[in-house]
Formats: sequence, C-alpha cells, structure tokens
Amino acid sequence: MLKGLTVLFFVQWLGTAVGLLAVPMLPGPILGMLLLLGWLMARGEISQPIDTAASGLLQYLPLLLVVPAVGIIDSGDLLLDDLPIIATALVLSLLVTVPLCGWLMQRMINRAESRGERRP
Amino acid sequence: MTTANGTMRLLIDHPLSAILLTLFAFQLALLLYRRSGWLLLQPVMLATALVAGVLWVAEIEYANYRESASPIAFLLGPATVALAVPLYRNLGRIRQLFWPIVVTLAVGGSLTVILTLLIAHLMGAELPVLMSLAPKSATMPIAMLVAEQAGGIASLTAVLVMLTGVIGTAMGPWLFRLGGIGDPVARGLSYGINGHAIGTARALEEGEECGAFAALGMSLMGLLIAMLLPLVLGAGLFG
Repeated sequence: MLKGLTVLFFVQWLGTAVGLLAVPMLPGPILGMLLLLGWLMARGEISQPIDTAASGLLQYLPLLLVVPAVGIIDSGDLLLDDLPIIATALVLSLLVTVPLCGWLMQRMINRAESRGERRP
Repeated sequence: MTTANGTMRLLIDHPLSAILLTLFAFQLALLLYRRSGWLLLQPVMLATALVAGVLWVAEIEYANYRESASPIAFLLGPATVALAVPLYRNLGRIRQLFWPIVVTLAVGGSLTVILTLLIAHLMGAELPVLMSLAPKSATMPIAMLVAEQAGGIASLTAVLVMLTGVIGTAMGPWLFRLGGIGDPVARGLSYGINGHAIGTARALEEGEECGAFAALGMSLMGLLIAMLLPLVLGAGLFG
C-alpha cells in the first residue's frame, strides 16, 4: 500500500510539474493519470503495489468528493439568484444527453460486434 | 449553540471533528443508500447534505471545515491518478471501440454544452451566468479555469459542476433503464461525459469496466472542454 501510494503521489507531482511547465489548462491529477497510463502501457503490466493502492483509493472515491461538494453552501446566494434558470437548464440538458450518450454508444457497440461476429 | 462554552467550541473546531463528521455522514449516507435501494439517494449528495446541515447548525464556516477536512480531500489527487489502472485494464476494449467513443464524445459532449446554454439563454440568463454554465460538465479544476477565462464566475461554476455531477448521476440509472441501456461500456461512458468524477464513482460501483469507461469519458470531456471551449466561446464573443 505504501509503495503504491508513493508511486501515485509521485506521478501526481510529475503531472503537476508538467502542467505548470507546459499545459496550464489541465490540472495535475488529470495529467498524472495520463502519465501513469503511459507508464503502465510502457511496462505492459500493473505491479501489485500500484494495484493495491489504486483499488484501495478508488473504492472511497465518493467519500473523497464530499469535502469539495460541501462548498455548495458558500455559493448559495449566487445560485439562488438564478436558480429557476440554472435548475431547468441543468436538468433538461442532462435528461437528454445522459440517455443519448448511452444509447448512441450502445448502438455503435452492437453494430461493431455484429460486424465482427459474422463468421458462421 | 450560542450558549456553548469555550471548551465545546474548541472541540467543535478541532480538525478531527470535521474528519469524523465527514466519515460519519458518508457511512450514514451509504447505509441509507443501500437500505433504501433508492438510486436517487446518491451517497455523495446525501453525505454532502448531512455535512452542510451540521455545519449550518454548528455555525462552522465552509472555509474552516474545508481546511480541517483537507486530509480527506487531499487523497482526491492520487485517486484521480489511480484511475489510470482501470483505464489500462480496459485498453484493449477502448482501442477496439475507438471511433464509437470519439463519435459519442463529440455528439454528446457538445450537445450537453449547447443545450444547457440554449435553455439558459432562452430563459434570459445573463452572460456571466452563461459563461459559468458552459464548462459545467468538466471536472472541477478544469471547469473553474475555463469559466474564469471566459468571464464566468469560478465559484458559481464549482457549484454547477457539483450539481451536474449529482443530478446526472442520480438520474442515470433511471434514464438508462428507461432507454434499455444495459451495456456497461455505454453506461460508463455516459456517466463520465455527463457526471464527471461523481458519475465515475457511481460507475465504479457498477463494475470495473463501467468505471474504466466513465474515467475515460470524464478525461476526454475534460480535455474537450479545456481545449475547445475557450476557442468556441472566444470566437462567439468576438467573431
């Protein structure tokens, strides 16, 4: 666990460094994820410590999101001013795009698979 | 609370209180979510509401809570990096489905931005609100940067990002059932594109393949918004 966590922190640090030096639009952790993916692809396997640390952390991803989410209470006034507009825009657009993305992707997967399995 | 003595206040303001509050609230939310079987009760949403309620009653500022609970939030960085593991495990499937992924992202990703802006505009939203709404489907740090550059309000965008994730994720299972979308890859990609990290957390609950494609959808959507939205908004404003 400790070894894996060290790797994850180190890669996040690298990602932050890359972000500061080259792509300030992207946050360090996202760049770190891309770096780790590249590293795993280069090595061709996931080492046990990385696997342990990653699955341990990802299991609690929802918990980690609670702290920033509570920040909603600080922008209450800004939000309340335009609440009807914002709520309508968010809910309506999600009502369309959540099923649309899933439907489109599923349709293309099914098509790709029926093409791939044409042999008798 | 106003009659609480100094010791009580010290205990309330102790960093451990914020951490314990978050842990208790999350476990209670998880329990309610599993017991009720009601998918709208997303643990993140429920735990957030519980914590916010306690902060309000105990008169604790968010800034103080955030600082005390920072050891928990701190792990969000390495957890994001860790998403590379499920991505790597599903790399074969991602390569195989490269074009469907690109098409879904291009169509779904741009439609969610366009629809949101169109509806808000038709209802009479002002420009700062529109610019805060535009990047709401990206993960928070990306969205806040883009909003600021486009003339939006970063703190409002942070809230909109959260709301998008929570609402999209809560409605997801229901909308997928309605649309007969059972494929874990398709569900995952949609969770990631529409609900970023909160959607990804939910997708990981459904399975590793679903989670991997959610992580992919979230990252690609983040890249799309970070790279293209400033260009499009810039062209729209000054062109």
